[in-house]
Amino acid sequence: MAGRVIVITSGKGGVGKTTTSANIGTALAKAGNKVVLIDTDIGLRNLDLLLGLENRIVYTIVDVVEERCKLRQALVKDKKNPNLSLLAAAQTRDKTSVNADQLKDICEQLKKKYDFILVDCPAGIEQGFQNAVAGASEAIVVTTPEMSAVRDADRIIGLLEAREEIESYKLLLNRVRPNLIESNDMMSVEDVVEILSAELIGVIPEDTGIITSTNKGEPIVNDDNALAGQAYRNVARRIMGEDVPFLDLRQPKGIVDKIKNLFTKLKGKV
Amino acid sequence: MKDLFASLYNKVLSFFHQAENKDKESAKDVACNRLKLVLMQDRTNLSPAIMERMRNELIDLLSKYLELDRELLDLNLAQEDDQMALMLSIPVIRAKDEKEIEEILKAEDEKNEVDDEELENDSEESEEDEDSDDNENSEDEDLDEEESDGENIEDEDDSEDEINDKELEE
Repeated sequence: MAGRVIVITSGKGGVGKTTTSANIGTALAKAGNKVVLIDTDIGLRNLDLLLGLENRIVYTIVDVVEERCKLRQALVKDKKNPNLSLLAAAQTRDKTSVNADQLKDICEQLKKKYDFILVDCPAGIEQGFQNAVAGASEAIVVTTPEMSAVRDADRIIGLLEAREEIESYKLLLNRVRPNLIESNDMMSVEDVVEILSAELIGVIPEDTGIITSTNKGEPIVNDDNALAGQAYRNVARRIMGEDVPFLDLRQPKGIVDKIKNLFTKLKGKV
Repeated sequence: MKDLFASLYNKVLSFFHQAENKDKESAKDVACNRLKLVLMQDRTNLSPAIMERMRNELIDLLSKYLELDRELLDLNLAQEDDQMALMLSIPVIRAKDEKEIEEILKAEDEKNEVDDEELENDSEESEEDEDSDDNENSEDEDLDEEESDGENIEDEDDSEDEINDKELEE
């Protein structure tokens, strides 16, 4: 078996890399794939919190690299989903505790036993980014429809393109607010795709459910009713090669908007 | 009564102006345009100072053969699909005739020779460059320009200002 190693990166912090990693990982595992999530944000680990696994971590990636334990011992299995495992980052160390070759080696070992290895990359373009990308052959660039996030994504895309081992990268647009796009106050999905000229793998709406799901340590893909959860499940299916149409994110409108719409339509006909 | 009408008129006018402006420049459009510009700069790694220098060097080069309108020369990087393009628009006043060009080139050759001699005398380091071809000599020229202190640059600025002043007077 040769698993796929996908790095989830963004450049800018706070756009939802870790949330995306947790949700795509969970969705892929729920669909029957064997998945490992690797948190490479050493010193600032959070993926364990989002998955609700923070109390079960004994060994971290630094312990594996420094040979205090075997790789197999450091993998924490998810309670509800035995297909999903986490290799946590160390919280008390820094990005220099692991180098690119060591991460590459870990990915190579995991590839033999798992279908997907998702690498959650730290923010920035320094050592931490270089390490996270080292073992991957695919990338998902997470961005939001904000200028600073798009600019950083462009920089990351440039760096990914310069790397031969990255065969493909896709864009995931997070925290999209359809009502702001409709009022022309926010860049649309099409705008961002055009500016970055990258292929889109998912559009995730801003969803307050993300906050509660993080608080509970339960990824939102487990919530069948959440729109963001649905959007993440679709991303997972696209990763598996399915052709899934993008969701219509527009919220159902109030009666006033409906009447307004009716009038604008009538106006168009006259 | 007159005042009332005037203020009402102004209010109505400003309302329409606002509506117009909203149509023209939405927050999204501003964001898109600003982003496109900044990404163009990010992707090229060329600072405005270097762009300005490139512009000046191009003018100097072309001025040997053509009489140009320096002020209107426009140099920009633009995105064309996936390709970056250098857009150069040069208003040509007239082409110089052969005699003029010959004179300029001759003067330049002489100047190069003088520069070479100066370099030879300057330091031991430059001896390594002696055997090198013309290309490297021209690089040396660039270095000289850089090393020269601010006076020359200021002079240039002054002359440009003078041109502007003249134009204004006209």
